[in-house]
Amino acid sequence: MKKRVETLMRGLPGRFASGLHSERVAARLGLWLGISFTVAFATGLFSHFMQHPPGRLTWPSRPVGLYRVTQGLHVIGGLATIPLLFAKLWTVYPRLWQWPPFRSLSHAVERALVLVLVGASLFQSTTGLLNVSYAYLWPFSFPAAHYWTAYLLYGALVIHVVNEWAKVRRQLWTREEVEPREAVTTRRRFLGTVAAASGLTVLFTVGETYVPLSGFALLAPRDPHTGPQGLPVNKSAAAAGVTAVIHDPGYRLTLTGAVRTPLSLAYDDLLRLPQHTVRLPIACVEGWSTEAEWSGIRLRDLAALAGVAPDAVLTVESLERGGGYRSSEVRPPHWNDPLTLLALRIDGAPLAPDHGFPVRLIAPNRPGALQTKWVSKVVAA
Amino acid sequence: MNVARSLGYGLGGGLVVAGIAGLVVDARLTDPLGWALWFGGLIVAHDGVLVPLVLLTGVATGRLREPSPVRAGLTVAAVLSFLALPMVAGIGRRADNPSLLPLDYGRNLLVVLGLIALVTALTVIALRLRESRRRG
Repeated sequence: MKKRVETLMRGLPGRFASGLHSERVAARLGLWLGISFTVAFATGLFSHFMQHPPGRLTWPSRPVGLYRVTQGLHVIGGLATIPLLFAKLWTVYPRLWQWPPFRSLSHAVERALVLVLVGASLFQSTTGLLNVSYAYLWPFSFPAAHYWTAYLLYGALVIHVVNEWAKVRRQLWTREEVEPREAVTTRRRFLGTVAAASGLTVLFTVGETYVPLSGFALLAPRDPHTGPQGLPVNKSAAAAGVTAVIHDPGYRLTLTGAVRTPLSLAYDDLLRLPQHTVRLPIACVEGWSTEAEWSGIRLRDLAALAGVAPDAVLTVESLERGGGYRSSEVRPPHWNDPLTLLALRIDGAPLAPDHGFPVRLIAPNRPGALQTKWVSKVVAA
Repeated sequence: MNVARSLGYGLGGGLVVAGIAGLVVDARLTDPLGWALWFGGLIVAHDGVLVPLVLLTGVATGRLREPSPVRAGLTVAAVLSFLALPMVAGIGRRADNPSLLPLDYGRNLLVVLGLIALVTALTVIALRLRESRRRG
């Protein structure tokens, strides 16, 4: 019996008849995946750094649309990686059933790391897809789990690349062997299908951030034109529990902390200060983005009025009671930028409650989650 | 072992250790048990369910006269359906925020699948015509 099982298992990998389960296809797809994962890891770390800058580190406020591009690459590129991943795993699937499963200790370690790589890849792409679809079906915090699993994935990927690099080189650069034409056609057709799946994924989603293609965004979780005042919303005033308090006639915007003159301004006082209009994108960590015309007071004008030192760090606080994004830090490069506003209007009309009435922060090159809404307090430190 | 190899193993190993350490240290947020269930569950679902289904479909389509365009069409259709599934299911819809998932994703997916079916069918017809002309 044992012998029969062993014979069966030894024969199993050979039963995958398609010539596409080959090292050459795996090498090509592996190269594409390596590039995609590198882009996703780099843009992901960039976004994490922006949201949690260590110490007093800062990042520049220009180019204005940088975060929009890096996060678009992260999310849309990440979605386009899904077909590559499925194709790669299908190509190497017979190797899952290799017999004996472990030839030596180092072979066992190598396979364990491949398991980590496969698991982490499936985890990152599936949770990423569900997260941008707002389907939070897990017990963990998505940002924390997605962030740490990225290290696991990329570490296992680096080791995998070291182990397989000789094969990739041989298959893609140095091999000089004439293949039957049929094999070449079959491979090209397969890789073309995978590329088509990735390309269509991009075509049907990228319009949520690249507005000229929004007409094709049939499968995007957002339409850049749908929402109050024609702009999408992440957290509504109702969800933030501020629907009543934002209309309080006693509303004041205060600027306190390390200042020469503390400020306390009513909504009408804000309207009397010099108004500026800027055209800036709002770019969400979930990948969508859109541009609007924002009007309001320059944050640096307000800081100058209160006598804030130019190297101070400002904390902008919301009327929202709790939540991870009720306040955000604005470091010197951003609040000294003339494009950074405490906005009162979108396209000439007062902010809708869902967009942060009475006042919201809008700054260039900054994740949407940090464009604090329903602002009532600025603290200098 | 050469230097590049050792550096690669060092860097990769370091990142793996950092990832595991982060998942454990941040346990309040990462919920290691829930994380492990998702991690393992996805491997099992992929290797034990999804790939066998794909392989069976591959065998079934092998009986057709023109399997390649049908396989290509089914592959693209399956990937885009996977992508659209959470949106079609509308799990993330919220009454207070109509700008989340604002489209009719069921209809849109049908449009996309219809286009794929059309291109597949046209390819099959073109291949057959070419074949019969060659024979005739």
